[in-house]
Amino acid sequence: MLSVNRISVRRAQEMTLQDISLTLAPCNTLAVVGESGAGKSTLISTILGLVPCASGQVTWQDAPVRQCRPALVMQEPRSAFNPRLSLYHSVSEPLNAVGKEMDQHRLDRLCKRLEIPRDLLWRRPTEVSIGQAQRVGILRALIGEPPLVLFDEPLSALDAVTQKHTARLIADLQSSEGFAALIVTHDLGYAAAFADDIAVLRAGRIEEVTPAQNFVERPQSDYGHQLREAAFTLGALEHVG
Amino acid sequence: MTKVIAGLLLRASVVLMGTAIITFALLWNAPGDPAFAIAQARYNSFMVSDIANQIRSEAGLDGGFWMAFQSWLGPLLVGDFGNSLVTGRAVWPDMRSAVSYTIPLAVLGLVFGVALSVPLAMLATKRPGGWLDRGAVAIASLGAAIPAYWLGLLLILLFAVHLGWLPAMGARTSAHIVLPTLTLGLGVAASLTRILRSSILEARNQPFLPALRRRGVALHNLERNHVAPHAAIPVVTVFGLELAFLLEGAVIVEVIFARPGLGSFLVSAIEARDFPKVQAVVILTAALFVTVNLLIDVIYQTLDPRIGEHDA
Amino acid sequence: MRSVFILVLVFVLIAVFGPMLALHDPTQINIPNRLSPPSSDWLLGTDALGRGILSRLLHGARWSLGLAFLISVIGLCIGTIMGLIAAQGGKLADWLIMRTTDTFLAFPDLVAAVVIAGILGAGTGSLIFALTVTGWMRYARVARGIGLSLQTRGYVVQAQLAGASPLSIARWHYLPSLMPSLAVVWTGMFARAILGISALGFLGFGVQPPMPEWGTMLLDARIHMRSTPLQMIWPGCAVVLCVLAINLTGDALRDTLAEQDHLA
Repeated sequence: MLSVNRISVRRAQEMTLQDISLTLAPCNTLAVVGESGAGKSTLISTILGLVPCASGQVTWQDAPVRQCRPALVMQEPRSAFNPRLSLYHSVSEPLNAVGKEMDQHRLDRLCKRLEIPRDLLWRRPTEVSIGQAQRVGILRALIGEPPLVLFDEPLSALDAVTQKHTARLIADLQSSEGFAALIVTHDLGYAAAFADDIAVLRAGRIEEVTPAQNFVERPQSDYGHQLREAAFTLGALEHVG
Repeated sequence: MTKVIAGLLLRASVVLMGTAIITFALLWNAPGDPAFAIAQARYNSFMVSDIANQIRSEAGLDGGFWMAFQSWLGPLLVGDFGNSLVTGRAVWPDMRSAVSYTIPLAVLGLVFGVALSVPLAMLATKRPGGWLDRGAVAIASLGAAIPAYWLGLLLILLFAVHLGWLPAMGARTSAHIVLPTLTLGLGVAASLTRILRSSILEARNQPFLPALRRRGVALHNLERNHVAPHAAIPVVTVFGLELAFLLEGAVIVEVIFARPGLGSFLVSAIEARDFPKVQAVVILTAALFVTVNLLIDVIYQTLDPRIGEHDA
Repeated sequence: MRSVFILVLVFVLIAVFGPMLALHDPTQINIPNRLSPPSSDWLLGTDALGRGILSRLLHGARWSLGLAFLISVIGLCIGTIMGLIAAQGGKLADWLIMRTTDTFLAFPDLVAAVVIAGILGAGTGSLIFALTVTGWMRYARVARGIGLSLQTRGYVVQAQLAGASPLSIARWHYLPSLMPSLAVVWTGMFARAILGISALGFLGFGVQPPMPEWGTMLLDARIHMRSTPLQMIWPGCAVVLCVLAINLTGDALRDTLAEQDHLA
């Protein structure tokens, strides 16, 4: 279980995150929603151990979170890959780094579920579509069987149809592979549809953490209310009941 | 802003200390026993082991690296460059007189180079790609490839030997400075022309210029107020580089033309293994460099505060 | 990039096969024949010791070009490694390496090389040491600059997350992006090395006689400037031609890279 325990992060003389606490049980999905500048990307970097905390700690099963080798799916799929290397090379990197061999069966299985043709992997990142690149990004994230996967706006760069499709694929893979997912998104509709819990981040602080269903019906905070109203107006959420 | 300048000062002092250590360490690690070599040079005799020991303690060479370093650095900080190990006289007066030959040469060379390159660059950029432009680039590229010592020799051959118009060796009269200046200045002109030209062209390509033009700003005003200052910025950096070129050029040119300047001073000091002199020249030129670069950095900050601290 | 390879190939060919074109032994002294003008036997004439100038020039390529190549490549390796360590190693390593670079850069090239070569004793070994020690810094700066800008790229972050070793990250993700810029720097340093070797040779601190290095040849020629001025022309021309070729190639490379940057 992921335990984010009262972390604070300082960047450039400002407290970007203040006193944040979250938990995420194995195989569950937590969506972190908020507007731009709220600190969502910093939160991801901190949880992954890329940015140090001024105070507090992040643990997975009571051990420092880096030890479980968490994976990251980035917002912009093409910059997540070295343009000079084949996709296959990039996908194998997490395995090469720990000296493991590529399990071809597992690779085939994942490719099928992610609807990636095998020969696509021999291409360069610029030679595939954005949707395909994003799915290969998910493939790379899952190849090393991580118990925790973070998603930084995984659907933002995709068109609407691909968005729905990819969201479905992620959810299916979660149930079959069994990883805990922390999804950062500004899309309340996506959060409401696919997450177990929703955490609302605003100006570096957590406003509320609620089970997704409850949030749609009755947000606990004022800000949560505002977000929900905005989502209704834009049509991202539909009134329930 | 003061914070940035303070940072630059700190950097410069660290670098200066580093150069002092390296300069001293180099000579400390020279092969052969320095004391022995000095004894030979000074007394021109062969049974020198006692004298060598005497020199060793005299010059402070027997206390280990840091002790010797300190006994060199201390006096240095108050301007005492020590005494020549060969003549026993103080280093500074001789070095100062050598410098007095080098500075006019360097200044004249720089002036000549600038006087040649600025009009050339401006003419060349009047019609970029035209024959004058291409010619200027070609000549400048050629000039950059010609070694200073060869150019000097060729000039001697032409003007001194063949035509007999100008003297070649020594520094007796003011006519003696013509050929060395020419040699140095042509080299400066070659690199300056190229850099000036490309920086003028780049300044001309600034995105906001066409907008100003359409608003009716006259062309010559544009050139004066917007192109020139922008083009000047890289030239400021280049000035630091040209200083390096001038120093190195001066060393070679002085040796060729037998001028008693810093270059000859250095070369003969090396051949005689006269360490204090060598150290003095090296640390002086390094300090000059660091100071000039520091000034350039500070000027940069005042000219364009946008330029933040990119490096550590 | 292609033109750089062609240039290097041409130079390597000259250095390796040039001596075979030489008709005469470059070090064989032949006093009766000294200082003779160009003839059918000795295409460029002979020098003060009766050695064929053309033969010496051709053999000299090995020294003036070959050594320069060696020196610039060693500098390339050292500088790139230092620059990458500075970029990947954290703030302290960066600061230390940058201050070291600054310190070495504070010494004017030639002055430092002359001092080093002079103090360590004239010869090929000290020549290589002197020019390498004064030459690695520019590579380090470029490597560090590009390395730092790559740190924030998505794929570098992914590699770090995956636990890839710094060496692996350097090899796969930094080096390919560094190579074009480093190649441009290298052409400049190659030219600089040629000029440096011949300058030191001319001052007597470099390659020692009887080796036919071009700068040393100029030193010999200078003594006989009045009687056989022609002798001075040839070694200088050789240097100028090579440096010019390298500079033009470097310019072309820089222009191509700048274009690609604009398009990208």
